[in-house]
Amino acid sequence: MTDRNPQMHDIPDEEIGPQGIYPPTEEMLNEPVDPALQEAQRERLRAVWKQPQGWRYWSAVNNSEVGLWYTLTAFGFMLMAGVLALLMRVQLAVPDNDFLSADKFNQFFTMHGSAMMFLFAVPMFEAISILLLPAFLGARDMPFPRLSAYGYWCFLIGGIFVMGSLLFDVAPDSGWFMYPPLATKAEGPGSDIWLLGLSFIEIASIAAAVELIVGVIKCRPPGMRINLMPLYAWYVLVVGGMILFAFPPLIAGDFLFEMQRSFDWPFFDPERGGDPMLWQHLFWIFGHPEVYIIFLPSIAVAAMIVPTAAQRPIYGYSWIVLSAVGTGFLSFGLWVHHMFTTGLPSLSLGFFSAASQAVVIPTGVQLFAFVATLMVGKVRMIAPMQWIAGAVAVFTAGGLTGVMVAVAPFDWQVHDTYFIVAHLHYTIFGGMIFPIIGGIYYFYPFITKKKMSERLSRISFWLTFIGFNICFLPMHLTGLKGMPRRVYTYPGDVGWDVLNMISTVGAFVVASGILVFTWDLLRPKRNQDLTERNPWAAGTLEWAHDVPDPGWGVRSVPFVRSRYPLWQEDKIVERMDAGRFYIPDAPEGLRETVVTSAVDAVPQHVGRITGPTWCTIVAAIFTGGGFIFPTFHMYTPAVICALLAVTAVIWWLWTSTAQIPEKPMKDAGLGLSLPTYVSGPKALGWWGVFITMFGDATAFASLIFGVFFYWTARPDFPPEGAIHADPSFVALAAGLSAGSWAATRIARGVNRRGAVKSAQLLLGTAPLLAMGAAACLILSVQLAGLDPTSHVYPAMMWALVVWTCAHIAAGVIMQLYCLAGSFAGKLTPRYDADLWNTTLFWHFLGLTCLITAGMIGLLPRML
Amino acid sequence: MLWNRNRTLWPMIAAPIVWAVHFCLTYWLGASSCAHLGSATPARIGIAIVTAIALGLIVFLGWRAWLRWDYRSDQDYVHDGPTTEDRRNFLGHAGWLLAMVSAIGVIFVALPAVFIRSCI
Repeated sequence: MTDRNPQMHDIPDEEIGPQGIYPPTEEMLNEPVDPALQEAQRERLRAVWKQPQGWRYWSAVNNSEVGLWYTLTAFGFMLMAGVLALLMRVQLAVPDNDFLSADKFNQFFTMHGSAMMFLFAVPMFEAISILLLPAFLGARDMPFPRLSAYGYWCFLIGGIFVMGSLLFDVAPDSGWFMYPPLATKAEGPGSDIWLLGLSFIEIASIAAAVELIVGVIKCRPPGMRINLMPLYAWYVLVVGGMILFAFPPLIAGDFLFEMQRSFDWPFFDPERGGDPMLWQHLFWIFGHPEVYIIFLPSIAVAAMIVPTAAQRPIYGYSWIVLSAVGTGFLSFGLWVHHMFTTGLPSLSLGFFSAASQAVVIPTGVQLFAFVATLMVGKVRMIAPMQWIAGAVAVFTAGGLTGVMVAVAPFDWQVHDTYFIVAHLHYTIFGGMIFPIIGGIYYFYPFITKKKMSERLSRISFWLTFIGFNICFLPMHLTGLKGMPRRVYTYPGDVGWDVLNMISTVGAFVVASGILVFTWDLLRPKRNQDLTERNPWAAGTLEWAHDVPDPGWGVRSVPFVRSRYPLWQEDKIVERMDAGRFYIPDAPEGLRETVVTSAVDAVPQHVGRITGPTWCTIVAAIFTGGGFIFPTFHMYTPAVICALLAVTAVIWWLWTSTAQIPEKPMKDAGLGLSLPTYVSGPKALGWWGVFITMFGDATAFASLIFGVFFYWTARPDFPPEGAIHADPSFVALAAGLSAGSWAATRIARGVNRRGAVKSAQLLLGTAPLLAMGAAACLILSVQLAGLDPTSHVYPAMMWALVVWTCAHIAAGVIMQLYCLAGSFAGKLTPRYDADLWNTTLFWHFLGLTCLITAGMIGLLPRML
Repeated sequence: MLWNRNRTLWPMIAAPIVWAVHFCLTYWLGASSCAHLGSATPARIGIAIVTAIALGLIVFLGWRAWLRWDYRSDQDYVHDGPTTEDRRNFLGHAGWLLAMVSAIGVIFVALPAVFIRSCI
């Protein structure tokens, strides 16, 4: 059962692999647990998972706390963005209105879109997943609780900063997709606030995605093979993967954009060889998958509610997996359908139009699977199910107009009109808001152990559903009659006034529905009784949680053998409660969860996870400073903040991750003994680095895409007689970085064999080589005299150098961290996870360096 | 491990990866042929070639997935048991379905090159 790692051959087997019995036999599961022992175990677990009290509450990192703050914060931003929408609807209610000035209106529609997307929709997915995923998987917590907390605090700070700009009348006002040249030339800090503030939040999003993917892959309970995973986990896996491919292009775009805003590097300025279309490409390579990134997790909530409402397993599990994965892929082939009117060759438009039609197939399969499940089951129209039904109806309508606008000639007619506004709200309101509200009604008893009101749910639903259609259905017509989006007012004699008035009335009806929901959500429920444990008679593991919630997640991590354990496995809850399953105790006083193999969920390791701390808040505050100060061109404090943030993160890692355990193995229960420390591909941290670097590689690939884009789209890239980077320095940089990479990799093997001194020597040399490589890269463009403000070609070469050097800096810090660890006795031949992770980082970085060298040294001479 | 032959997700998503590569190549061929050569013909020939290769690969991957699904021996399409057999069949089933969607996607994306003969 141990999938042994070939590199581990020098370590005796009994020290690394799981030992004992797996899978457990039925007799073992039937054996009762001594009640006195149960009580003692409960006490110990309760102490370990106790949440901090008083003001220290805010140092909590547990998924149930962080998830709750995250959800409520995202919901708060949604309400704010909703208020902006109402104010805009008031302005548009009658022609020639002067309720809002044009400038205010621009700020409001920009912030409405940006906040709904970046501060509500994506964070809401992360928030709900952080809150619920461990429970779906019978895990104690997320794999990296402090990372979730750090992500949350970054999100909060970034969100307040971006939304706060409205109060000072300096909010971004160029639309939520920030097209240059409008946005590059916009005066005031608005565009910078958008770029830096949201980049900051995007980084938090990527952190959450990494954590969720690792959670799904490595933190499933023993026995929960990939074919038994709750569908929600499938969606999380797909969406996490999509975030890794969708957000980095936007971050790369933001990087180029901010370089133009701050330092006049002309990426989007056609007079100096730039091209505004590159931004549109990078933005929509992010922007279209984004729509599915917010739709899929919401439909995942539906996939949890539908079987419960129908009281039977989902119909067509494999088909839903097909649709989630298929949609995840195909949604990346659609981005140009936002750019149908930009004058691209119709051949190119055709490809994107075709892919836009093809994505309907997996999306449709998904909806049909739900309908089929409801048809073959005995449906109880519980309150959450009503919202899901509304979601399916509204989303389908939006999907149908989506098929219409995917046809390029039709899109040319309605592009940038209210028809598009109607279409996108039908898809997003139907695909996101309705299922999420349904989900909140459904999971509320799980989260708070109280119930929301069935009656208020129905009132809220009908107000929202009817109001939504009153507001947005007429907009199709308003758009067909030619009203462009984003105009702050319109004349009274063109036939748009009645339709606009209807939409405004509808908007207020929606608002009243949301208000009823908000009241139901937040009203005090102190006098209400606690709910029963599984109020909807559902079949998945989250409903096995205790009432009231003792904070430990699950009392013992179950051995799972079906898709709906609560329906299909007798006595599972009883056994979980008795501590019959895995890690029922915490004798060491540490927070732990079971780490299993990726596909078959074979137990591999007991993962120690981190507890309450302030360092995540400190790190988030300084990270925020690093992003916020540059908005006002205050670079010195920004650099200081960035350094302090790095220090805080290093302190956090040093004091709490990859700690040498008190003993190499521990009894995990049911006759199984598991290692307490693993390194390499079995370790959570290794997966975290691997997945992060995947996202990072995507961002780098986006910059490379930029180079080829300019080469394809512009006749003067590189311009005639351009100066190129100095080839000898480029070659030297390539050699030095390869040397540093090799030294790191060799250090890992040497260290594992016990030659600690040689490993230290290699780890001391590697950063010197890396710094030499960075210096050579800079010199290669600096000495040759490439002036990044003169033309996009030198600017692009500089951008690659800056990007690579920033990564080399991170690589050097990691090498020095390992060196320090080796001297401090934290990193030994046996306990070498940090070195594995650093080596993995360097595999990516080494390739980045070589590609950069090729791009600046070789390619331009060949083009 | 994710890479071991029978314990891996990669075969399941191999067909959509082929679709993605085909999509990128198709787009790149169209864009560069129109921008640098001013004619759609080289792109159309190139697209025909990459489409044939992509479809060949997808048929192969789909066939492998079909074998892994093993539907004909037991007519099972639920795969909710806690066994290696169920997991293998499930990954085969999902992989086969994804191969179908990918094949449709490849054909869809190639069709504009059949109908559109110019760079306008």
